[in-house]
Amino acid sequence: MDIVLTINGRPHHLSVEPRVVLLDALRDRIGLTGTKKGCDQGQCGACTVLIDGQRVLSCFVLAATVTGEITTIEGLAPEGGPLHPMQQAFIEQDALQCGYCTPGQILSAIACVHEGHAGSAEEVREYMSGNLCRCAAYPNIVQAVLQAAPQMDATAGPTSAETV
Amino acid sequence: MTIQGPIRPQPFSRIGKPTPRIDGAAKVTGRALYPSDESVPHAAHAFLVTSPIARGRVAGFDLGDARAVPGFLDFLCHENVGGQAKPPKQMAGGETTTTMESDRIWHDGQIIGVVLADSFEAAREAAFKVRIQTEAEPPSATFGSAGTTEEQREDEQKEDFAVGDAEMALAAAPVMLDAWYETPTQHHNAIELFTTTCAWNGRQLTIWEPSQFVYGLRGNVAQQLGIEPADIRVVSKFVGGAFGSKGGATARTAWIAIAARRLGRPVKLVATRDQGFTIATYRAETRHHLRLGANGEGRLTAVSHEGWEVTSRPSFYNVSGTETTARMYAAPNILTRVAVVHADRNTPGFMRAPPEQPYMFPLECAMDELAARLGIDPIELRRRNEPARDPVTGLAFSGRHLMTCFDRGAAEFGWNRRNAQPASMRDGDWLVGLGCAASTYTANIAASTARVTLRPDGQAQVRLAGHDIGTGAYTVVAITAADRLGLPVGQVTVEMGDTEYPPAALAAGSSHTASITHAVVRACDALLAQIATAATASNAGAFAGREPATLSLRDGHLVAPDDSSESLADAVGRISAGAVEAYAENVPDGMPADAIGKLYQGQLPILRGQKRVDMTAYSFGAQFVEVRIHARTREIRVPRMLGAFSAGTILNPTTARSQLMGGMIWGLGSALLEKTEIDQRAARYTNDNIAEYHIAVNADVRRVDVMMLPEPDGAVNPLGIKGIGELGIVGVNAAVANAVFHATGQRVRRLPIRIEDLL
Repeated sequence: MDIVLTINGRPHHLSVEPRVVLLDALRDRIGLTGTKKGCDQGQCGACTVLIDGQRVLSCFVLAATVTGEITTIEGLAPEGGPLHPMQQAFIEQDALQCGYCTPGQILSAIACVHEGHAGSAEEVREYMSGNLCRCAAYPNIVQAVLQAAPQMDATAGPTSAETV
Repeated sequence: MTIQGPIRPQPFSRIGKPTPRIDGAAKVTGRALYPSDESVPHAAHAFLVTSPIARGRVAGFDLGDARAVPGFLDFLCHENVGGQAKPPKQMAGGETTTTMESDRIWHDGQIIGVVLADSFEAAREAAFKVRIQTEAEPPSATFGSAGTTEEQREDEQKEDFAVGDAEMALAAAPVMLDAWYETPTQHHNAIELFTTTCAWNGRQLTIWEPSQFVYGLRGNVAQQLGIEPADIRVVSKFVGGAFGSKGGATARTAWIAIAARRLGRPVKLVATRDQGFTIATYRAETRHHLRLGANGEGRLTAVSHEGWEVTSRPSFYNVSGTETTARMYAAPNILTRVAVVHADRNTPGFMRAPPEQPYMFPLECAMDELAARLGIDPIELRRRNEPARDPVTGLAFSGRHLMTCFDRGAAEFGWNRRNAQPASMRDGDWLVGLGCAASTYTANIAASTARVTLRPDGQAQVRLAGHDIGTGAYTVVAITAADRLGLPVGQVTVEMGDTEYPPAALAAGSSHTASITHAVVRACDALLAQIATAATASNAGAFAGREPATLSLRDGHLVAPDDSSESLADAVGRISAGAVEAYAENVPDGMPADAIGKLYQGQLPILRGQKRVDMTAYSFGAQFVEVRIHARTREIRVPRMLGAFSAGTILNPTTARSQLMGGMIWGLGSALLEKTEIDQRAARYTNDNIAEYHIAVNADVRRVDVMMLPEPDGAVNPLGIKGIGELGIVGVNAAVANAVFHATGQRVRRLPIRIEDLL
């Protein structure tokens, strides 16, 4: 079926079978491979994207059902431009090792802040537990979220900073 | 040109300073391309069909429904392609289970077919519609299952020790500790799945696959397919976690290459999470019989460590961590033995700290038990048994600072507030326990090569087929080259993970940083030699007629001891207006001269710290853990961990800290969470997903402190690098178990420790 996905502010027209999940549509059809496949079962969080600012597991969403604005990791900062505060914080806190879960962590972290769940390390640990990191950068991820949160508060809404 | 002889010492200016990852920006923006991210136009999709039984044979396939799926292209199995590939060679030697070479089924989840289709969805649907007929035999799952066979591990690759007479010493010991311990099956579960994409261009095969050893994978696939290694390119620029699982070649790669050849079109496989449990390796379950004899002061008179490890039917894979436990403490009588138990399972393989993680658990628990029995502080007990030399070979240790780690760690952790009495510390409803254990890992180094180019504008590029599996290897290579070339780190780019570059060794066994940086230093020195020779041979310029060896590169200039200098542009420009390039090989002292030739063929020439003839080389650490156990529910929490490590030169404290911390959290998961459950009747993994195979999540991890103690060890290798990838995990499981004992008085000798163990 023919669908239009709005991804990082741009419309993408594509023809997909109804059973194609958003993750595979992003990776295989559109070429946005920053969104990662880690389990295909909604268990690991590596495929997290934002839809209208809400964090969503893209392996669990049929592409044809998506009507909102999708933000992927590629949409957080213009190429060559300044990084999103959360991306910058992940580098500065060394909140990643292999980097495979990182796009999902960062998008989840941005939503975590906007949800109001980044008030303390305790809270961040709890609300970031849906994103597994096998390298176990967890303490640094918590620090990155706490570092970026006040910088993000200056932005107006859940999607304004992350949509280019 | 290549410079031989010793690497000249040089004061470091960039090594040891915290440096952000140079690949950080690529990873936080999604631009880092993992192998399954690479754009391969017109690729068909593969989906594996795996065995539903653990033992028997494939009797046939009914493909009617599968072929009817729109987009279905092909089905591969033993009947049509079985003769086209040989099994991959095992890095640890010996045989392994086959896959589609024949109708034989060795284990549940074995690859028995590959469906190819135009889309991932069609391939998946068709694979589920393949009807498999099998002839099943009753399988044997694990220790204690009917039909397993046990054999003593031979002395080929791993050594057993019999120093003195341990049996007699144990019989005569005033104090004897005799206990059995168990560690469970565990799977790596890197977040990146096992993926393979293959494309042919005439005779040339390109493989995109996450790998810890691209030359090894290339050599292996060449051997499997009977083609020349030079006709294969392996690309693995980023690896989404490996932990040992992507070190050796697995069967899947050759079948995907064959599939692509049959279709005349690239083929992409992204194996599913559950398939990852059976198409690659894992950490096998182990059992241990540990006996310690001691006198009344706690001085060991005997150490006896016997281990049993599960493996597949044809493989004798084993980790034999007794090679390390025999060396931990000064005992005059030492006995070790290891047996393998063959079951109907996939072949196990390397997983983070393969020997030490399971084998240090019993030893470090037993030391804690002995300390409790004697009323001696567990750190003091270790001090009393600190060996002056390697207890089994008599060789000197290349830096052994175990007690420094314990003392510094204890001070920072607040060990002195521990009441030695078990179940004596409490905070409201929570029982508090403090435990400690030793960590150690062999300091290994392998032969490696590197190529460095330098442009007149001061931009340097390092290329080698090394691997950054999350360790920070890209960054330490840049730091090393920047240091040697006198440039800012930002002016060095690093390209790795591709057999188009000169070979580097396997990224595993805490060896990769030592292996690759020495090759990088040699390449930089060879480059400097070219520049210096040109400068001194010139009739003009500041250095005409001087001795080349006196010149060095510093801050973008070629400089002499008297501080006379010229710009890099002038110095490099004397040779080329484009760039100067140097290639170098590093064969560590004590390795055979043919090591580089073997490396090019995809073999692994590695010098292990416990096999050296000049010294015994290990890193050391002390692990401290605080557990809190709820008095009524017995819920176990770990609010605090501290590791103090002595591991030689730390090139980049930023990434090193992360790696050690990650290792410690792996240890935490290993102690309390991780276990692959096995259906005893079907010999099948039952929790083959990461919702039910529990790895630590963010909320499981509280405070983790990492101390890296300065340790110049010039003896182990010229740069003094001993490795850290495995050191962080070792001993944590025992430290947790010891803390649980301290909190409750209950000694649990089987991992993982769960609520039900403490009821």
